[in-house]
Amino acid sequence: MPGRAYVLLSWLTVAAVVVAWWAVTAGGFVSPFVLPSPLELVRELRELAAQGYAEKPLAQHVLASLARTFTGLGLGLAVGIPVGLVMGASPAVYAILSPIFAFLRPIPPIAFIPLMILFFGIGEFSKIFLIFMAALWYVVLNTSAGVRTVSHDLLRAGQNLGLTRLQLFRHVLFWAALPHILTGVKTATAVSWAIVVAAELIAAQAGLGFLVMDAATFFRVPDVYLGIIFIGVIGLALEAVTRSLERALLHWQGR
Amino acid sequence: MPARIELARVGKVFAGLHRGQAPVAALEDVDLAIATEQIVTVIGPSGCGKTSLLNLVAGFERPTTGTILVDGRPPERPGPDRSFVFQSTALFAWLTVEDNVVFGPKHRGEAPERYRRRAGELIEAVGLGGWERHYPYQLSGGMRQRVQLARALINQPAVLLMDEPFGALDAQTRARMQELLLGIWGVYHPTVLLVTHDVEEAILLSHEVHVMTRSPGRIKQSVPVPFAIPRSLDLVGSPEFAALKYSLLKSLWEEMP
Repeated sequence: MPGRAYVLLSWLTVAAVVVAWWAVTAGGFVSPFVLPSPLELVRELRELAAQGYAEKPLAQHVLASLARTFTGLGLGLAVGIPVGLVMGASPAVYAILSPIFAFLRPIPPIAFIPLMILFFGIGEFSKIFLIFMAALWYVVLNTSAGVRTVSHDLLRAGQNLGLTRLQLFRHVLFWAALPHILTGVKTATAVSWAIVVAAELIAAQAGLGFLVMDAATFFRVPDVYLGIIFIGVIGLALEAVTRSLERALLHWQGR
Repeated sequence: MPARIELARVGKVFAGLHRGQAPVAALEDVDLAIATEQIVTVIGPSGCGKTSLLNLVAGFERPTTGTILVDGRPPERPGPDRSFVFQSTALFAWLTVEDNVVFGPKHRGEAPERYRRRAGELIEAVGLGGWERHYPYQLSGGMRQRVQLARALINQPAVLLMDEPFGALDAQTRARMQELLLGIWGVYHPTVLLVTHDVEEAILLSHEVHVMTRSPGRIKQSVPVPFAIPRSLDLVGSPEFAALKYSLLKSLWEEMP
């Protein structure tokens, strides 16, 4: 089958889900209060686009969530890549830091939300810090693993050409570990997006997570569905962006 | 002629990698003097410590005993005055051919107009004209080793260290690379210390061949190669070549366990 046929198959799945959804609601199998029809959602979407939600335009909710994600993610990368490079290159630094990361890794970041609120209140900082932490784990672990795969000869080539230690990190280790670093970035992006929504569920005045939680509180069920669909679609878009970023930055792998 | 590289009673012992393993002596009492602008080859059975010898001169490792002098100074750290050509590709995969070649002088802060000119000249000399903007994954094995050669020579090294540089290439490519190396030597006259397991390559390329014993390696025999450079591949068919090859092979066979 040509590639285009597979794409068509994927779209058929989407269409099938919508049609089944419509059939279930139109046939009166479930209460329209619990599951509004797709048409009802389209109507509500127009309403949201025109009126906004909670006296804020829809775009503001989307941007609030995205801004938190990218701030936390950006800080996570800025700290995580250098820390991961040093951890991967130095067994001593690895030994010092790895217990912290090993302990924190299996804990779902969401479990820290109450503590974040206790430490930093319910403002922006607690949410961004949570995302920063989660992104940091993934980036540090992948970066240090990436450094450990760099061949001995490549590092020696850099030393032989007269590079300083700092130059070796910047011009050899970073690039050689980049494929692994970007794997970390992809995971961190997906996880950050999931966490921002969770953090907003608990304490926020804007954002898609806030929208979903608030709409549920006031029984605005179509808005709950719309919020969830937005979160999913934007998550897909983020994935597509990180994947094309990866392709562009790793073109020299020749795949 | 003064010796450019001098090894006196050099020994290298590696600690056991795993618990309960005894330390391994890779080299023992190696004496070697290499004159300026000579191509010198070290051959020996695999695991005899030939690569360790090269790593010591490169400054990647320190000798356990004895002294090494390169131009009168011990090689305490790696440096571009002793440029290294690795057996593995060891190119920077994310950089183009040209950026690989200029990598050393660029990061050491040399003026671009100086190293750019040398890079252009060397890329032509190793036969990669027109490939400047290509990435390593787009090159064949032989072409990658040409890039390594140019990346080493751009530093105008006093010494060129080569660790089985053509070992992973097919026979024809290897022959062309050997010719290329002799041609390049004719132009730049670096002092070359080359390690190989290929006796024919050793004779074809060098002024002198040193044979090592099996581990712990020491120099068991040093044989000057009488043929004048430039040499052509036709040399391989001559009776003198065959006789020298046979005597070196016999010397090597004695070291096989």
